[in-house]
Amino acid sequence: MEWKLFADLSEIAGGRTVTVDAEPGDTVGDALDALLAEHPDLRDRIMEGDELADHINVLVNGSNVAHEGGLATELDDGDELALFPPVSGG
Amino acid sequence: MQPLSVLGPDAATLVDALAARLEGRTAVVDHAAVDAGEQSSIATTASLAADGTWTATGTDADFTDMLDRLAPDHDYLLATGFSRLRVPTVLIGDDRDPTDVPGDVVATPDAVADVDLDALIGTVEDAEPWVTLETLVERATAHPDAEFSGAIATFTGRVRAKEEPGDDRTTHLAFEKYEGVAAERMAAIATDLEDRDGVFRVLMHHRTGVIEDGEDIVFVVVLAGHREEAFRAVEDGIDRLKDTVPIFKKETTEAEQFWVHRQE
Repeated sequence: MEWKLFADLSEIAGGRTVTVDAEPGDTVGDALDALLAEHPDLRDRIMEGDELADHINVLVNGSNVAHEGGLATELDDGDELALFPPVSGG
Repeated sequence: MQPLSVLGPDAATLVDALAARLEGRTAVVDHAAVDAGEQSSIATTASLAADGTWTATGTDADFTDMLDRLAPDHDYLLATGFSRLRVPTVLIGDDRDPTDVPGDVVATPDAVADVDLDALIGTVEDAEPWVTLETLVERATAHPDAEFSGAIATFTGRVRAKEEPGDDRTTHLAFEKYEGVAAERMAAIATDLEDRDGVFRVLMHHRTGVIEDGEDIVFVVVLAGHREEAFRAVEDGIDRLKDTVPIFKKETTEAEQFWVHRQE
């Protein structure tokens, strides 16, 4: 699975995309754990204790998982994962 | 309008080859041409006297004026001798360092024979279009219900240099977009607002890349029956865009550089 990262998150990880070891059938949370294992320096930025910080957005195929199954959402083949801070356009 | 700049000794030859291939209204802008107003077989030839200087950084005001003026009714603009921020640029037989060129350097061929025209046209098509407020207003008034419209409300967001007189100037902002998802969300906002009674057309455009102090960033245009629904829709449109569209802003002032969300 591939994560797309934006704003300072991509700067911390040193790239806009990160491929992680997560398969269809795993959850979004598993893919997030795999991302943090790959880039431990992201942890302080996106986690509050063991929880994902409220202001960090996780999207699967353009939809925010907070409005749906949360981090327990199961991944399908070809899903697009994205992680970003509060939006700041305009 | 899709713009492309070409720099280097063979720039004019490459622009001619491209102009012959592009379908649509094409403007050719030649920095070196001196025959002001000369018309050619292509739609528009804007000519400027060469002043012999070309600055490697910042904005060329004449070029920006031409981009803005030609954008509403041209499909392409091909420029030789000019480059500016956010315009894809080809260096042909030009050994300048691409990082010294203000535009986004997309190819560095040695000669016209080395250029894959199809690939270059693809790059031009895929680049962010040059869109102005006027572009969107003209698109809105082309709506079939325009005869029922008595109001156009527009919002333009621009780069504010200072909040207070004593502040360090903001020199530029750099915007990054979640491609695809940003466009989907803007389209959803527009469709939602167009469902309101008396709102016929809602158009929005947010620029990405580096935008300098005083330049426009974002436009929202509403074509409506009356001013009340026009004002309401334009305000809700920009508010929702700022709240929900995945676009990210990095600010550079005279003193520092920071992602804007981190300061809030």
